[in-house]
Amino acid sequence: MSVTPSPFRLHRRLLLGAALATPALHAGRAQTQGEVIVRTPGGSYDDVMRRFVYDPFTAETGIRVTVVAATAAKLIAMFRANNVELDLIDTGDAQLLTLERLGALAPIAYDRWRWSKPEDITRQVRNPHRVGNFIYASVLAYNTETFRGDNHPKSWADFWDAGKFAGPRMLADMASGSANLEFALLADGVPRDQLYPLDVDRALRVMTRIRPQIRRFWDTGALAAQMLSDREVVLGSIWNGRLQTVIDSNAPLAYTWNEHMIQVQSLGIFKDARNVEGAQRLADFMLQPQIQAQYAKALVFGPTNERAFESYTPEEAARTPGGENSRRTGFYQDVAWWHENRDRVSRTWSRWLLR
Amino acid sequence: MPLGRLAGWLMLAPALALLFGVFLLPIGWFLAGSLTDFASFAEFWEEAQDVLFSGTILRVLLNTNGIGAAVTLLVLVIGYPVSYALSRAKGLVFTAILLCIVLPYFTSTIVRTYAWMVLLGRTGLINQILLGLGLIDAPLELMYNRTGVIIGMTYVLLPYMVLTLFAAMKAVDPRLLQAAEGMGASPATVFFRVFMPLTLHGVIAGVLITFILAIGFFVTPALMGGPDDIMIAMLIEREVELTQNWPAAAMMTIVLLVVTLLLYAVYSRFADREAPR
Repeated sequence: MSVTPSPFRLHRRLLLGAALATPALHAGRAQTQGEVIVRTPGGSYDDVMRRFVYDPFTAETGIRVTVVAATAAKLIAMFRANNVELDLIDTGDAQLLTLERLGALAPIAYDRWRWSKPEDITRQVRNPHRVGNFIYASVLAYNTETFRGDNHPKSWADFWDAGKFAGPRMLADMASGSANLEFALLADGVPRDQLYPLDVDRALRVMTRIRPQIRRFWDTGALAAQMLSDREVVLGSIWNGRLQTVIDSNAPLAYTWNEHMIQVQSLGIFKDARNVEGAQRLADFMLQPQIQAQYAKALVFGPTNERAFESYTPEEAARTPGGENSRRTGFYQDVAWWHENRDRVSRTWSRWLLR
Repeated sequence: MPLGRLAGWLMLAPALALLFGVFLLPIGWFLAGSLTDFASFAEFWEEAQDVLFSGTILRVLLNTNGIGAAVTLLVLVIGYPVSYALSRAKGLVFTAILLCIVLPYFTSTIVRTYAWMVLLGRTGLINQILLGLGLIDAPLELMYNRTGVIIGMTYVLLPYMVLTLFAAMKAVDPRLLQAAEGMGASPATVFFRVFMPLTLHGVIAGVLITFILAIGFFVTPALMGGPDDIMIAMLIEREVELTQNWPAAAMMTIVLLVVTLLLYAVYSRFADREAPR
């Protein structure tokens, strides 16, 4: 007589549940229409949003807001497993575009907005299935003790000039979402409005020139901020919000708005979500000018509702991406180009790194 | 004895079910699901060639094995004397050494890695001290390069080696050493001719455990490495999270799994011959 371990055959759904355990815990409570579950970047972001957006939203509508963490891969896994455990997705525009192309997102109900006016939302971030809830910028930052007075790098061409501006540097790695190929091309003389489609080979040839000066390619905003504040590097690209936090703690750092790259954080709604209606309302609520101005100021992000700038002082506007700064010197990262080419560029990038 | 066999299987059943349910089934499902994503065999073959023979994965495997080998060697060189001291120590000294080895192990790898970053940075403690003493003129590059990865991983993996060696050393019959001494062998001879050979299976087991763990490392190389210190786990993570190319991730996972299983086969051969009694 033989005994096999087969009585422990597991049900497929059970496994799925185990794989996606954390949000499943919340799912039990989500049966009521009175809750919207939001994917957020987490950390202090949640505190700011809770104070300026979620709590006022609950006070206004009676709908509770619960936040959960989920990586891009996890969101896709949920959708593929037909087991969507959250309603509103607050994440990078590029990740949302991936979900949109998979057919996972519901259209944004612009026509039913009550609090915000669709025409106030910046054109570039207003898409049928995704709407930007803030913008941020990759800027050129430098150490003011190394580069004193006016003798600091003012463009990506300066960043590439290691003779004139010596010192260890950093740029973004593919693992951060995209490598700084745009900056390489700008340094090589490509005009801002002719960057896309990116000439990857040319960009990497330019990258090769500065590579010996690059101490590290950063993969997270935290690492970028840490390397600048610990003086591991004296200049580099960094997200403006992360940088501002370090500057506000009195680190000897500054940055230039010249040739900054604008990136977008967006809202999307799972079409199979339990509470699509609640998610639509929260998106509408979040984007109204007064609400957006509050959380965008707290996080040093740029508002996507152009009327939000009305409540900015000139000083606040000067440290904020979007508005006048961006129109003069910035450019929008083309997430559609990155979406089409990320696979290929990622492999080329790995090969280039290992050469 | 059928009854004894049955009892054995029954006792094994929970462990087998766990292994089957939370490891074999999900990983099999992931691999099968990812690899059946392709429309045709030709498409699969093209992707497989790009992933497996492009040079990138070969370079990364070389990196991974090189780092793994260097770390394992360092861990052995540091771990052997520590284990020896531990196996000889008694009372308070024994407890102190054991605590020093095991206590950091209760802290998460990420926290310990960040602690190293504070020490090793350009303006970190070690560079400050060396600069202050005038031993160096410019900060040493101890981090964001291969050196940083090896220091960090050696530290994290040391307990595995020490505890494995300790078990082997404790199993050495002290009467054998006394006999050697009684027959006139010098302490060095006793150590090198009797003690060390008797602990050799422990060394092999420790080396293999350390190496297997090292080649799957992610956090430390990701945080402390330089631009080209890419290990295979980092490459897999990139395919899963960044490009969401799960078939490619599945193929790389198979490569890592095969390497690990091969090493495990070697390990179990030595482990079976264990313990000279």
